[in-house]
Amino acid sequence: MSFIGNLIETQDYSAAWEALIDQARRVQGYTEFVSLCRWREKLAKKTANPNRRKSIKIALLGGATTEMMEAPLVLALEALELGCEVLRSDYNTFAHEMLDPRSATAVFKPDVAIVISCPVNIPSWPKAGDGLERVRQITDEVCRYWMDLCAKLHEHTYCEVVLNNFHPFATAPLGNLGAKLPWDTNNFIRRVNRELGDRLPSYVHVNDVESLSGKYGLMEWFDPRYWYHAKQPVSFDCLVPYVRNTARIVAALFGGSAKCLVLDLDNTLWGGVVGDEGPEGLVIGEGDPVGEAFKAFQEYLLKLKERGVMLAVCSKNEETNALAAFEKRPEMPLKRDDFVAFKANWLPKPDNITAIAAELNIGVNALVFVDDNPAEREHVRRCLPEIKVVELSEDPADYPRLLDEVGMFETTALSEEDQERTQKYQENALRVRLQESIADYGAYLASLQQRAVLRPFDEVQLDRITQLINKTNQFNLTTLRQSRSQLEALMEKAEVLTAYVRLADRFGDNGLISVFFGHMAGEELWIDEWLMSCRVLQRGVEQLLCNYVTEKGRVLGASSLHGVYIPTAANKLVCDHYRSLGFVTLGGEANGTSHWSLDLASYQPFNVEITSVEEY
Amino acid sequence: MEKTTIWETCTRIFRETFGDAGLSIGPETTASDIDGWDSLKHIQLLVTLEKAFSMRFNTGEMAGLANVGEMVELIAKRTATGNAKGR
Repeated sequence: MSFIGNLIETQDYSAAWEALIDQARRVQGYTEFVSLCRWREKLAKKTANPNRRKSIKIALLGGATTEMMEAPLVLALEALELGCEVLRSDYNTFAHEMLDPRSATAVFKPDVAIVISCPVNIPSWPKAGDGLERVRQITDEVCRYWMDLCAKLHEHTYCEVVLNNFHPFATAPLGNLGAKLPWDTNNFIRRVNRELGDRLPSYVHVNDVESLSGKYGLMEWFDPRYWYHAKQPVSFDCLVPYVRNTARIVAALFGGSAKCLVLDLDNTLWGGVVGDEGPEGLVIGEGDPVGEAFKAFQEYLLKLKERGVMLAVCSKNEETNALAAFEKRPEMPLKRDDFVAFKANWLPKPDNITAIAAELNIGVNALVFVDDNPAEREHVRRCLPEIKVVELSEDPADYPRLLDEVGMFETTALSEEDQERTQKYQENALRVRLQESIADYGAYLASLQQRAVLRPFDEVQLDRITQLINKTNQFNLTTLRQSRSQLEALMEKAEVLTAYVRLADRFGDNGLISVFFGHMAGEELWIDEWLMSCRVLQRGVEQLLCNYVTEKGRVLGASSLHGVYIPTAANKLVCDHYRSLGFVTLGGEANGTSHWSLDLASYQPFNVEITSVEEY
Repeated sequence: MEKTTIWETCTRIFRETFGDAGLSIGPETTASDIDGWDSLKHIQLLVTLEKAFSMRFNTGEMAGLANVGEMVELIAKRTATGNAKGR
C-alpha cells in the first residue's frame, strides 16, 4: 500500500484518493484497514476526497468504547463517497448525550447519531425462572428505554439514529434448553431484538448486529480479552465488517444506494454458452449440482427484484439465442419480463451499460455490474469508473454471497413504489413505443390520457417523498436532502407550501413522481425544493406543477416566485428549467448557482395534456 | 524464531503504528518514551503483534507488557515452545 504514499509524495492527490478508495472497498483485515486509515489522514490534510457527494455530521455515542471505531468508520464512509465530521462521546455516556438537550451531542446537531451499544447496555434482564408474561414485560421495558432515548435525541436534534441490536453470547449456561426458556439470556436477547425491529420509529435504523455476528460467528465476533481491557464491543477481526455495515446504513440515508443490477448471461445466470450449446444444453436447475447453484443465484436476484432493484441484461450474444434461453427453459426462476433492459449484442459492454443507464434515466453510479469474465469486469471498470463491479469467484455457489457482500442495495425504507418499479419501467417502454408510432408529440401526449393528483405532503406518502428527495439526482434543482422528520416539521409550518404529484396514464400508474416545497420570504415564495423522476420527463408535469404552485402561492400572499438552481455533477438537465417556465434571470453566483424570478401578476397558466383529478 | 527476526518485525510494527519511520526501539523502551503510546495505541499494538506472529496474548499478559523487551521475550518464548495460542 506504499504506492498510496508514493502518489501523495508526488502530489498526485486525486490518483491517491482513487487508489485509497479502491483499497478501502477491497481490504478485509483489520491491520491493513488501519494502515489505510493512516494514509487517509495524511491525504485528507492535503486535499478532500474529490469524489465526495456530500459531507455530513456524525455523532458516535458510546455504550462501549468508540475510539477505535472512528477512523475506520470515516474511511468506510469515504469508500461510499461520503465525507464526515465526527463528534465522539466516551464509553458509557450515551444516555446522558441522548437525554440532555445541552449535551455536546445535542449542541453539535448531528445529521446522524450512531449508538455503539452492546448487551451490557440492556438495562434490565429476566431473573432465573421468570415466566413468559414477566419476560414480555421486561422486554417491553427494555424497548421503551431505547425508544425513549432515541425520541429525546431526535426531539433535540432531528437527527437520524443508527442503533445496534444485540448479539447473543457464545456461551449457553442453560444449554439447549435455553431455546425453550424465556428467561434464558440468548432467548431474551432475541426477543428484545425482534421487538425493537417491530417498534422502532422511522428515524431509527437498526444496525443488525444479531445477523452480522451470526454471519461471522459469535466466537469470532466478540473477544472478551479486548472487552476486559478496552471495552471493545466487537473483536478486531470483525471491526471492518461492522464499520462497513454501519457506513452502508448511513450512505443509504443520503442516497448512496444503487438502483439497477446489470447482469451477464452465459456462466453468470446459467452454466454454459447458449450460442454454442443451445438452450437445452444449459446447466440450470435441479438435477445437477452446478445447475442448482445457478438456480439459487437466480432466486437471490429475484428477491432483489421483488424489493425494488431493477435487473438488466448485458450479454455478448445473438439476441434470439439469449431470448430462447428464457423461452425454452421455463424452470429458470428469472423470466424475460423480470428485466427492465435487455442488451444482447456484440457491442462493447461499456457502450451497452451507458445505453441502459440512459434508457432508465439513472446515473452510471447507480449501477452494479456482475459478469463471470474478469476481462469484461476490468474493461467495464476502466471505461466506467463510477460503476460498482462485483468480483465473482469461479464457483456459482459463491455468487449470492459475493453480491450480497457488496451491500450496494442497502435501503432504510421500502415503499410500494419499490416493489412495482420493474413494472413501471416496462410500462414506460410501451409508452416509448407508442411515441415512436405517433409522429406528432402533442397527439402522443393526448393519447396517453394522463391524470394527475396534486396535493400538499401527507403522512401516507411521506416515505416515498423522503425517498425521492434523497435519491433524485438529475431532475433536482437544489439537491437539498431532507430526512423524514425534517419533512414532518415542514408540514406543520403555515408559511411553507408543499406539493407532490402522482401521475397515471393509459399504461398504468407512474406513482408519486414529483416533489415541491417552498417558503414565504416577504412577498416572495422562495422555492427550496423542486424535483421530478426522470421517467416522466416532457410530459407536462413541470408546467402543471408550476400552474399549481402559482395558484397556491397567491393564496399565501406571494407576488412572485423565487427559483434557485444549484448545479451539481448530475443535474445539468435542469439548468434551464426556470427559463423554460418563463422565469427571468436575477443573475448568478460565483459557484454557478443561479437565481430566477416569476411575476405572478402577469402569469398565464400553461396548457397541459394532463387532467387534474382528486383521485384516479 | 530468531530474536533478531522478532526485533525486526516489532520495529516495523512500532514504526507503522506510531507513524514514525525513524523510530528505534530497545529492550528498555516503555510507553513514556514514545509520543502517543496511550492505552488505545497499546491495544492496537497488541492486535497487530498477534496478527504478525499468529499468536494470542493472555488477558493477564496484555496489561503486564510494560516495555518492549518484555513483549519480545514473551513472543520469543511462545514461538519457541510452539504454544502460540497461550493455552
